[in-house]
Amino acid sequence: MRFLLSGGQACILYGATEFSRDADIVVLLSDENLHALRRALRELDAEQVFVPALEPAALHRGHACHFRCRHSEAAGVRLDVMSVLRGCDPFPALWERRSKVELPGVGEVPILSLRDLVQSKKTQRDKDWGHVRRLVEGDYLARKAGAADEDVAWWLAELRTPGYLRELAAAYPGAAARVATRPWLAAAAREGNDALERELGEEERRIRDEDRAYWQPLRQELERMRRTASRRDASRE
Amino acid sequence: MAARGDEFVDEAAEWAAMTPQERWAWSTKLWEFYLGMGGSLDPEPDSQSPFDFEELQRAVPPVRRAGLHSVRRD
Repeated sequence: MRFLLSGGQACILYGATEFSRDADIVVLLSDENLHALRRALRELDAEQVFVPALEPAALHRGHACHFRCRHSEAAGVRLDVMSVLRGCDPFPALWERRSKVELPGVGEVPILSLRDLVQSKKTQRDKDWGHVRRLVEGDYLARKAGAADEDVAWWLAELRTPGYLRELAAAYPGAAARVATRPWLAAAAREGNDALERELGEEERRIRDEDRAYWQPLRQELERMRRTASRRDASRE
Repeated sequence: MAARGDEFVDEAAEWAAMTPQERWAWSTKLWEFYLGMGGSLDPEPDSQSPFDFEELQRAVPPVRRAGLHSVRRD
């Protein structure tokens, strides 16, 4: 089965959080892969816990399908499945960029790349922004010595820590002036932490608004599916 | 000692310095502790989540950690 570990469990492996109570995966949307996924869900004795049902159309539109495992070795474990992540490339590109981690007792696990994980975590939720900050900061601190130009460009575009942004912008003023998504960066870095905090806050608010707008029609669709499922259940009783 | 005199920063730096396998092992211990304290596997209410539906928050008996396990095939 072609899948990528994402969400909180991926954040644990990248060092951005210590704990997550569920597992999120992104899957390739193909008949063969969905067949393999359904087989895996049967092995886990996974029950669907909410709408929508695991169907290509729902996954293609960006919905998540939610499961609870009942197999004795994974009883109660929650699994969320998606195929489309807002703001991220389609699955084949995510797969090409994937990381792999060998975990004892599990084997090799394919994980969303750090950069794709950061992108996927830019949501409307407070807690995801903490993860974004820690993911990028951790990468910067671990690899800043001898970094390639391309790494510097990514950190300048993604770091959310004013002190590190100022440090980086001072070391690479030309690159800081060329960050297309942050035309304010060079000037704000020269001005100081308050200016950077202000611009980063505006950036976060804009992205949160985009995420809410993205989910609004999907939420409405979920409400409709929920009502339909509820009526169907009531008619069976 | 933490350079910034902040224990949280110190712990975060230690966590970041671990390998993914070490983090996984520690997270598993945290999970066992969490379950031992009666923690739930279901998501908490989160008004900021697109999936903030009560059907997704039903309490189920906590059994073991989320994440990845090899499940024996019958």
